[in-house]
Amino acid sequence: MKTARVSTLPSSASPGAFYAAAPKIYPREINGRFTRLRKAAVVVLLGLFYGLAWLNWNGHQALLFDLPARKFHIFGLTLWPQDFLYLALLLIIAALSLFFFTALAGRLWCGYACPQTVWTELFVWIEQWTEGQRLQRMKLDRAPWTASKLLRKGSKHLLWLALALFTGFTFVGYFMPIRSLGAQIAMLSLGPWPSFWIFLYAFATYGNAGFLREQVCKYMCPYARFQSAMFDADTLVISYDEKRGEPRGARRRGSAARSLGLGDCIDCTMCVQACPTGIDIRHGLQYECIACGACIDACDDVMDKMGTARGLIRYTTEHALHGERTRIVRTRLVVYAALISTALGALGFLLLTRVPLILDVIRDRNALYREVHGARIENAYTLKMINLDDGPHRYRLTADGMPGLQLIAPAGEISLPPGSVNTLAARLEAPGEIAGGVHHIVLTLAAIDGSGVVVHENTRFIGPTP
Amino acid sequence: MPSVRGLDVALVLWPSFLAACGASLLFFAAVDPALLRDAGPRLFAGLEREAGYALGFLFFWAVGAVASAISVYLIRTARAPPADRAPDEPR
Repeated sequence: MKTARVSTLPSSASPGAFYAAAPKIYPREINGRFTRLRKAAVVVLLGLFYGLAWLNWNGHQALLFDLPARKFHIFGLTLWPQDFLYLALLLIIAALSLFFFTALAGRLWCGYACPQTVWTELFVWIEQWTEGQRLQRMKLDRAPWTASKLLRKGSKHLLWLALALFTGFTFVGYFMPIRSLGAQIAMLSLGPWPSFWIFLYAFATYGNAGFLREQVCKYMCPYARFQSAMFDADTLVISYDEKRGEPRGARRRGSAARSLGLGDCIDCTMCVQACPTGIDIRHGLQYECIACGACIDACDDVMDKMGTARGLIRYTTEHALHGERTRIVRTRLVVYAALISTALGALGFLLLTRVPLILDVIRDRNALYREVHGARIENAYTLKMINLDDGPHRYRLTADGMPGLQLIAPAGEISLPPGSVNTLAARLEAPGEIAGGVHHIVLTLAAIDGSGVVVHENTRFIGPTP
Repeated sequence: MPSVRGLDVALVLWPSFLAACGASLLFFAAVDPALLRDAGPRLFAGLEREAGYALGFLFFWAVGAVASAISVYLIRTARAPPADRAPDEPR
């Protein structure tokens, strides 16, 4: 890991800070480009989370990881536990994408998309609404308990709890049908396990977004510690322009900074007050920085007021800061992109060639063969068929692989409702004079409703040793 | 905000939680809890599928938590200071 560039030690001056009680952080509310972007991300992502659970598709919930039924519905696609490979590939693609975007533009995930960030943002909105702005919140926390404080704090926690419980309900609604889950709650007939999961997720949301907040990123998140391994000198990071800002110091508006021997930083500490993790970006890149851009917005605002150019704190690269050229296309990114494309290609190929039908053939264990009708040999099998598709299908079974082989049962067509398992006894016959020994044969189950679904299964036909 | 004790609790419960999520995913992708009920030892008789998932997850979490707790305990009670601790810092 490149610990030289991004320190993984606590940034505070005292090495014991890791064990000391850290002060509560009251992030200052700000406005600007990146704040608007983050708010948009919160609305879109939480909108998807709370909304998608209610979307139906072909008569069933569009996105349902139905654990009680052990079936995953993803829009038109139904995946079974046998299809675990797809899920594994999806997870690999997600991880590689995270690496790719981190190498390209730093901690985009942390700043805009991580559930911790997104729900914290939502909880902070509620906090601002009930307790007021930063200074009001600080004052309220110091103030003695009065009816007004009780009302403000109480309503905040009530809203938080309601939101957390609804979040837990929605979360569980992705693992069992959300409409029946809602009906069970309405009738107070919810089983113990769904209730347990709802309360666990609600508790985690309430605790993580309400209380732990930046501490999850600072003390609990493994990604925060190893993301620097994806960084290089061409990665977009949020950085304070030290050359332009220093020496920092207060000055009158409109005064010529350079003639006073000062840089552009007026040391107003707005960037520190705005920071949700409570760091000072002017100390350089730190692993606590979740790259939310709040300090950029705060500083741009101040620069506007001072009449100086924006960008004292900005998205830039280490190369750009040192006046060198930034290369966007570089080996690291090309390798990540190639790996993502390969995994996507594999996933696409597997999905396109996936046959939504399983045929298992088990030979009869009691007898190798039976002599019937005088000179004919019969073999018996047990067939297990699973229709993995979303709709019903009709199939016909055929047997090939040796001359004179005849399918006795099941002779007619076989109907399977969607997602159903059927176990059938099958019998094959062959003339005695050609049936001696072991023959390798193929059973084929093919849809006769024009859907083109077909599977082949190899098995053996055994006759008396010649 | 985290005190030493609070941090220790987080260091025990959190990594084991992540490990339990992964373990449950892998285990239950291959094993249907209903199979434990139908074909497993008597211990699992009457086990509902939903209960199976939850108990499996809690079991993995508990095992992970024990491992984490031993790790934290060993680090906290070590005589030699870890390399990144300042020599003059009180223990």
